Amino acid sequence: MPTLLVQDAGPQTTVQDLGRRGSLRVGIPPSGPVDREAFVLANRLVGNADDAAGLECTLMGPRLEFADERWVAVTGAVMAATLNGLAMPRWAAFEVEAGDVLRLGPAASGVRAYIAVSGGLDTPPALGSRATYLRGQMGGWRGRALRKGDELPLGPHSGGAPVEVRASLIPDYTREPMVRVVLGPQDDRFTKRGIAALFEAPYEMTPHSDRMGARLRGARIEHTRGHDIISDGVALGGIQVVGDGQPIVLLVDRQSTGGYTKIGTVCSFDIGRVGQVKPGQRLSFKRVTVGEAHELLRAYRRELDDAIAFPTG
Amino acid sequence: MGIYAEPRFLPCGDLALSVEFADEISHEANARTLALEYLIQQKALSGVTETVPTFRSLLVYYDPLVVGWDDLVASLRALCRQARPDVLPPARTVELPCCYGGELGFDLEAVAKQVGLPPDDVARLHASADYYVYFVGFTPGLPYMTGMSERLNIPRLAQPRVKTPPGSVSIGGVQCCIYSVESPGGFWVLGRTPVRLYDPSSTDPILLRAGDHVRFRMIDRAEYDSIETAAAEGRYRPRIERP
Repeated sequence: MPTLLVQDAGPQTTVQDLGRRGSLRVGIPPSGPVDREAFVLANRLVGNADDAAGLECTLMGPRLEFADERWVAVTGAVMAATLNGLAMPRWAAFEVEAGDVLRLGPAASGVRAYIAVSGGLDTPPALGSRATYLRGQMGGWRGRALRKGDELPLGPHSGGAPVEVRASLIPDYTREPMVRVVLGPQDDRFTKRGIAALFEAPYEMTPHSDRMGARLRGARIEHTRGHDIISDGVALGGIQVVGDGQPIVLLVDRQSTGGYTKIGTVCSFDIGRVGQVKPGQRLSFKRVTVGEAHELLRAYRRELDDAIAFPTG
Repeated sequence: MGIYAEPRFLPCGDLALSVEFADEISHEANARTLALEYLIQQKALSGVTETVPTFRSLLVYYDPLVVGWDDLVASLRALCRQARPDVLPPARTVELPCCYGGELGFDLEAVAKQVGLPPDDVARLHASADYYVYFVGFTPGLPYMTGMSERLNIPRLAQPRVKTPPGSVSIGGVQCCIYSVESPGGFWVLGRTPVRLYDPSSTDPILLRAGDHVRFRMIDRAEYDSIETAAAEGRYRPRIERP
């Protein structure tokens, strides 16, 4: 079986697909890529289905050796990609041959880069998904981040094409993102001033952030009567505000339930932007209604469907 | 405090909403939650992608390109009216062996001092109750349970500990929980069960379900060790009574 040899893994490279569904009810998170948009586009560039398994690389990329001919795409955080030492484009499909070595450097901007390989990674699924859930040691490659020497099986593929993502859709991770938030489910547990604080000034990403949650620092968000609630379900993007008045945005490896008040929820189409903010960088929140969020989601999906093109000029 | 006259539908971003039945932890609020989830499953409600039951609310994930907010809320409202606790699947009773005290139940002595009972009596009191699983979550397979004697009601640890071993049978307030993976926690550890509540290598990795009953059987250290060995090799199955 053709494989992908990990010559060097980088600090946290994991196998991900679009995540497992239906197991949150027993406490198993969906996992999957933090930046779903960059992940899906990588797959589309190499002719894979959106839910084919690829790699998520955090802060620094891996060094990978290919055993056969494949199409490859690198998206997400700006980690300089080289093939046998030669610079390769990002957000575009390119071909590799047996023995070629792909290397991704440290992240110049953004946090998470994605590597898709035509045919996808054919690691054994767990509960119907190849996504790695690190804390629960489930899925991906032996339930853990990759290590030097791992040989990941690849699925069969059928050629590719030299396509790229439209330049207008490639994010600039050095810019401060504005992410959209729907208030609730516990916005009634915050003062008017507390809610205003969330939307007034930007918040800074702290280093205590991971695939479970993004811990932010900024203006204190004031509660009306304490931060404890009867534990309830925690949605993707839920903004928990703990006793110190600081927000935590919950991501793909989040706990399924929690007992802290949630002032609002970051919209699904903006989660990827949160996941690309480096510690020390800032982001700001903008309030939208559920109806507006659904309109924005439709526009976002249309844009994504039209994102891949043959190079012009 | 109490059950609301009408359930509340609370937005949780663009892909989820929470149906909240009460602002209390009660069997009735939980039964309404589980009954609604069961009906959604039975009717395969269009656009609903995933549900998460908790004490008194059901988190419902949906695809807004399939079903809009107004239509979904209308359907859920109708299902809430139809939902009856008696349509729930019959409850199971799961027996979990537990070794109390010693290095596995490192808080037993401290709890005994606080409630003014000998440690053995605390263990017996804890093991004699019938526990009800409100829901499973936070970490994979962790059951949120009540049912124990009021005499064991003590506040949670002032300082949560950083690591609690998996299998730790623990109490805090009126609640009893069993840690499923190593995690931080503010509960007092009375003992440990060798049974795995979460086994990532299994095709059916979660043992307990919302609505289950749990009974503890007191075992000594020797039996704990032998069951643990068997469980690690996949040879141990706890006793499960189905009505």
